[in-house]
Amino acid sequence: MAGCGCQVPGRDRRKAKHMREKRITLVHGCVIFIILYIILSVGLYFIAGEEFRCKRVQDSTSCETDVPAGELTKGLILEQVFEAQTDIIDSISIKFATYARQNSGTVCVQIFSDEELLMEKILDVSGFTDNSFVTIQCEEPITNVKGETLRIIVFSETGTPGNSVTLWLSKHQARPDQKLLLNGAAVDGTLCYAIEGRDVLLQGKDYFAAAAVLGILMCLYCLRIIHCEKTGKKCIGLSVILAFRKYGFLLKQLVSRDFKTKYKRSVLGVLWSFLNPLLTMTVQYIVFSTIFKTDIPNFAVYLLIGIVFFNFFSESTNMGLMAIVGNASLITKVYIPKYIFPVSRVLSSSINLLISMVPMLIVVMITSTRITKAILLLPFSIACTIVFCIGMSFILSSAMVYFRDTQFLWSVVSMLWMYATPIFYPETILPQRLMPLFKMNPLYHFIRFSREIIIAGASPEPKAYLFCIIASVVPFLAGVFVFKKTQDKFVLKI
Amino acid sequence: MIKVSNVSMKYIITHDSIQSLKEFTVAFLKRKLVYEEFWALKGISFEVEKGEVMGIIGRNGAGKSTLLKIISGILKPTEGSVQLKGNIVPMLELGSGFDYDLTGRENIFLNGSILGYSERFLKGKFDEIVEFAELDKFIDVPIRNYSSGMLMRLAFSIATVVEPDILIVDEILAVGDEAFQSKSKARMLELMGGGTTVLFVSHNLDQIREICNRVIWLDEGKIKMTGETQQVCDAYRLQS
Repeated sequence: MAGCGCQVPGRDRRKAKHMREKRITLVHGCVIFIILYIILSVGLYFIAGEEFRCKRVQDSTSCETDVPAGELTKGLILEQVFEAQTDIIDSISIKFATYARQNSGTVCVQIFSDEELLMEKILDVSGFTDNSFVTIQCEEPITNVKGETLRIIVFSETGTPGNSVTLWLSKHQARPDQKLLLNGAAVDGTLCYAIEGRDVLLQGKDYFAAAAVLGILMCLYCLRIIHCEKTGKKCIGLSVILAFRKYGFLLKQLVSRDFKTKYKRSVLGVLWSFLNPLLTMTVQYIVFSTIFKTDIPNFAVYLLIGIVFFNFFSESTNMGLMAIVGNASLITKVYIPKYIFPVSRVLSSSINLLISMVPMLIVVMITSTRITKAILLLPFSIACTIVFCIGMSFILSSAMVYFRDTQFLWSVVSMLWMYATPIFYPETILPQRLMPLFKMNPLYHFIRFSREIIIAGASPEPKAYLFCIIASVVPFLAGVFVFKKTQDKFVLKI
Repeated sequence: MIKVSNVSMKYIITHDSIQSLKEFTVAFLKRKLVYEEFWALKGISFEVEKGEVMGIIGRNGAGKSTLLKIISGILKPTEGSVQLKGNIVPMLELGSGFDYDLTGRENIFLNGSILGYSERFLKGKFDEIVEFAELDKFIDVPIRNYSSGMLMRLAFSIATVVEPDILIVDEILAVGDEAFQSKSKARMLELMGGGTTVLFVSHNLDQIREICNRVIWLDEGKIKMTGETQQVCDAYRLQS
């Protein structure tokens, strides 16, 4: 139906001018898009660069703490030989015991690679608590050691019988590369230690190279779109932009209608968007922190993130489900691209999602969870969730046209979905062998991603980004496919 | 310009419309899924030149509305194709998508966007719409409080504020009290007279004679006759 039916010369000129204006805005749009991309990719590097470069790994022995090593007096040297499991070592923790008394003096901990001293730290033993790990932070992370044989040497210059600490040993020799030496002579067992380290995943320059390649591809595609517009050829990108330009206003109107009418005639109005997740969280918090005890740290925040995301999923899919059937009177009377209905429904409930982020952030602050720059990554998981929900709404709304049972079936399925997603229980209670099945659940990835950035305050590993993108794009494409196949028949069925 | 080439529309009628999975399964297992085909339109071809006013006449159930829906893009024809040049405004129903909880002002934007108007166009024409609908002080009242006459006036004003290249009209929409009826009729005639291509369905032969250049007579989904207004109308009158 596109094209121009030009009748009078005046109209011709007007249209020509209009076309010119349009092209300028398209070029502008492309430039803005590329600049945004550059800003975002650099920003992402600053927020999550650390996690992109390395992955945190813990290398620890099984500390069953079977026997103490004996009093660490002057002259006694404990030496633990092991093969480094991580690329970088940040800190090392050793389990000391104090014989339940106050000791004085110092203990020296050294790490050697062959004869090279990598780290040396002298610790004051008076601050030690009995049977607990003492963490020694490396001033400079020890780098590039993976696979090398390292030695941890512990001795005391001041220890005397009756005034010294000791170390716990595990009787088991956990790994073949581990060897314990007492004054140079091999003995059974392993020192009870843990190493906090990192594995290098990606070099900074790799990240920027990848980002640049992607950026160049986008530039080329932008050029193609501009070229297509000039010559009037068709390409997907251009039709998406034109559709947005043409139906953006309609979409805006539909979204604002849904949102305005949702709370119309209720006393508290929009406030319900705040109250709903807060009240649900309060109820579930009371239930799960008193009746069913869970040992999740920071449970309130953990729970609320799950609830906010799942509520959005359930609300938007339930609204999207009725998108086609509920707008039957419009669809049979006016030509509107039908995809606009599910999309507008999901977008109007995502306004709700954004509003309910506010009480969530308030709870985050009340529980004094540290807010870090990683929170800037939250839009990513929100966007992924929205895309996923649009895909689901496409599938559900077209299924609904053919079988009205879908709505009843969906209420059961979404309940099942809620229990299959770790919202109020820790993911550790899921049976290990069923884990692959649970990881098929897109919501699991979005919620885990959000929890990671809010509770742990750090970006998840790069793999998590990939999973989130896959978990949103695949259902979206499936939805588009189903919707496209069925939409021509909608008018006949509703 | 409108070019309709060989358009056919097939409806499938099941005797009781199956809408649930259970009914479907039961019917499927009983092998009672009997479909009946019904051709609402069969092999329709015609062209409307730019600026021409084409009338469509026929009895109830002849396929007039189906044809209009296919041309406006609401229905996809089973066979054949429709080519259009220019922006098209189908006026098949007034007030599509009105939301009764919203105010008149909000509904002007909602309904206008559904009819495909741009934001700039609506903002520019807003005062004209309100003035034509004679609603000035009620514009910020939720339309559930409107009288039916006010609703129709508002809907009519939004629908006819356009400057379309192609206009599709299902009966002259004369609404409201006597004064508004003549006002709205004048507006319609003005719209249809201004060099636009018009497809016009009506049962009122006098109106057809008044404004149409050519007329198509549809009967049971086929074109029975097409030609000069006078000729076709006379033949149609004889028949019925």
